[in-house]
Amino acid sequence: MNRRHQLITVALVALAGGLGIAAHLLERAAAAQTTVQAPRFEVDPLWPKPLPNNWVMGRVIGLGIDADDHVWIVHRQNTLLPTENALEHKPPTGSCCAAAPPVLEFDPAGNLLRHWGGPGEGYEWPLSNHGIFVDHKGIVWIGGNDSKDAHILKFTRDGKFLKQFGRFGQSKGSNDTANFGAVAKIFVDAKTNEAYVADGYQNKRVAVIDGDSGEFKRYWGAYGAKPDDTSLGTYDPNAPPAKQFRTPVHCAELSNDGLVYVCDRPNDRVQVFTKEGKFVKEIFVATKTLGDGSTWDIAFSKDPQQKYIYLADGKNEKVYVIQRDTMEILTSFGDGGRQPGQFYAVHSIATDSKGNIYTTETYEGRRLQKFVYKGIHPVTKKDQGTVWPSR
Amino acid sequence: MRRTTYLLGGLALALATADLGSVRPLAQSRSGAQAPAFQVDVLWPKPLRDHWILGSVTGVAVDAKDHIWLVHRGADSLSARQEMGLATNPPGSEFCCRPAPFVLEFDQAGNVVSHWGGPGDGYEWPRSPGGMAIDPAGNVWIAAAGVSETPAGRGRGRGGATPATPPAPPRPQDAHVLKFSRDGKFLLQIGKAGKNEASDTTLNRPLGLAVDAAANELYVADTGNRRIIVFDARSGGHKRQWSAHGAKPDDPATGFRTVSCVKLSTDGLVYVCDRQNNRIQVFKKDGTFVKEGFVSKTTLGDGAVWDVAFSRDPKQQFLYVADGQDQKVFVLRRDTLDVVSSFGGGGRIPGYFFGVGSVAVDSKGNVYTGETYEGKRLQRFVFKGISAMRGGSR
Repeated sequence: MNRRHQLITVALVALAGGLGIAAHLLERAAAAQTTVQAPRFEVDPLWPKPLPNNWVMGRVIGLGIDADDHVWIVHRQNTLLPTENALEHKPPTGSCCAAAPPVLEFDPAGNLLRHWGGPGEGYEWPLSNHGIFVDHKGIVWIGGNDSKDAHILKFTRDGKFLKQFGRFGQSKGSNDTANFGAVAKIFVDAKTNEAYVADGYQNKRVAVIDGDSGEFKRYWGAYGAKPDDTSLGTYDPNAPPAKQFRTPVHCAELSNDGLVYVCDRPNDRVQVFTKEGKFVKEIFVATKTLGDGSTWDIAFSKDPQQKYIYLADGKNEKVYVIQRDTMEILTSFGDGGRQPGQFYAVHSIATDSKGNIYTTETYEGRRLQKFVYKGIHPVTKKDQGTVWPSR
Repeated sequence: MRRTTYLLGGLALALATADLGSVRPLAQSRSGAQAPAFQVDVLWPKPLRDHWILGSVTGVAVDAKDHIWLVHRGADSLSARQEMGLATNPPGSEFCCRPAPFVLEFDQAGNVVSHWGGPGDGYEWPRSPGGMAIDPAGNVWIAAAGVSETPAGRGRGRGGATPATPPAPPRPQDAHVLKFSRDGKFLLQIGKAGKNEASDTTLNRPLGLAVDAAANELYVADTGNRRIIVFDARSGGHKRQWSAHGAKPDDPATGFRTVSCVKLSTDGLVYVCDRQNNRIQVFKKDGTFVKEGFVSKTTLGDGAVWDVAFSRDPKQQFLYVADGQDQKVFVLRRDTLDVVSSFGGGGRIPGYFFGVGSVAVDSKGNVYTGETYEGKRLQRFVFKGISAMRGGSR
């Protein structure tokens, strides 16, 4: 009696266990077949903290994260409207506001730390600063996209001038090896100390220079060809893909596995190269997008494989989440508007060590926003719209 | 496990939101007096549908159902090249954006529950709307404020795609007010575009209006003619008019400089914004001058007193003044017209402003603001009770 009871118990336990394992396997198989996984984000509507001193930002056209997860932006002071810079009028027309200094550093909590920038001794501050990058040595790089800005500047994090490569007004086009042509963005390769320059608003190339000396090492145009400054005319979505970059060449970002991703913005595409400039592949994004184009800036996910790319599209007002190996768009978030998580001309994008995304907006957007990484989840919507936290 | 994570995430956020008052102070000044306290509701209203975006918001009002209404300038204040690619010909973008309808009605949860507006038969839709008012019957009144010759803060499209509707030859300047049912059916127009002289039947770019339901009268801030003018709200017939200090409106030396709002208190007083004189003037309903109060007297430019609203306690103890030049909302004691507090500041983050030009209050005492220029937002500030403003005035 006693023994029979034990046997039955053992059998029941075995059966239950077997069923459980089978169900688990079935679930896994179904999940693998039907769900696409992607990182999910939610805007942090309380980040960053309000600026001190009645400061406001103009067009925020550069963004970089340093090794301490501090967030650096560069914006244009001279883009404030007379209706909002009352403290800069003589006499002041009101109690608010004035332009913040061009370079601002925020800590992870959103507090403003260092702030500096503007003209000074020994260098030419760009007429229209554009792009900011903090390299592995903690050096801050800044470009400029006025048609006469033909140079790059390097500063310490405290704003002490270090070096200038190229000279204002001296650009001789896309095959000039001493000057640039209205630089959009810079990325420094920590392994080789080479700077990859998205060059730019005048030139149609990626330029690679030595990070210390500024010496030109190589450069290339679309498909890795020699750049040609002949005008391409207006972008036509029905025409064959252009053989050259269409200005601005708006980003040149290096992945951990040594590929260079280039935003060919008005051509609505990203081209991928080896470090030497050999063309690897390209993807097209929202190719009916006219004018400013769809591919403004990219950032990589923070996993070691950089499995995902985040692509900012300031014309369609969203961020695409792209699987890097297949270059397939998995989902997107964002929408037009001035509320948290919405965009007006989302211009720059970067990720911190925790995988959070930061964005800046130019034109009338003029914001720095943070999107909190919420882990990898099945994709339920191709277009997530405004990603708000639940109440 | 996963569900637990979500719950924890939600809890953390709820706490962050609840902590807004201290984490995200509204740059609230402290005068030592009793004053209402507010916290910005960072997740209100809900995102608009269909990739709609707001142009410059010129009017905000709350109706008897506690629904919040706005009117905005639409495409006229948006950049065709930069932000409304879905509304250009050919479309300049694939996914975003297009102007929202001119008039939007929100429920308390922040959902759009009705929308309408734009040209139609029998009336002249404004070249640019101004203020709006909802009467107790639910009719929606909109001032036709017109377009400045050198508009500040307008979208500046450069080249590229053109608006889907090619710009018609300039229409006559706005000089009228409109009355619609709450579902957008046209009911009445007073004044006529292009006819802006200071007669008994004409207006000149009016910015504000208010309805006295008991007397069935419409008060209009007739900005271009520098006067308050009162009409029969049903027939549109002229009743009376006055200017600053209750003087006759035709004296430019003593008149209003920029009369931009008119609001009626429950105890029968008429509050008038004289925007670029940085003052509120108070009248009886017959135009007899009662008193005036100044706000931020040193403000130049567009001035400090753009719009006012009353607190919702029975005595309407406080006045809220939208100051689109200093980018804040002042809180005044209504009896003394003394400033006791303020909130806001310049910027695009929640709770801050660019061109806050409209203010309204719901039955719970929550404050709503509309931003013109490049602000282009409707924001809600949740009433957190009356408390002593610690510390001295600043």
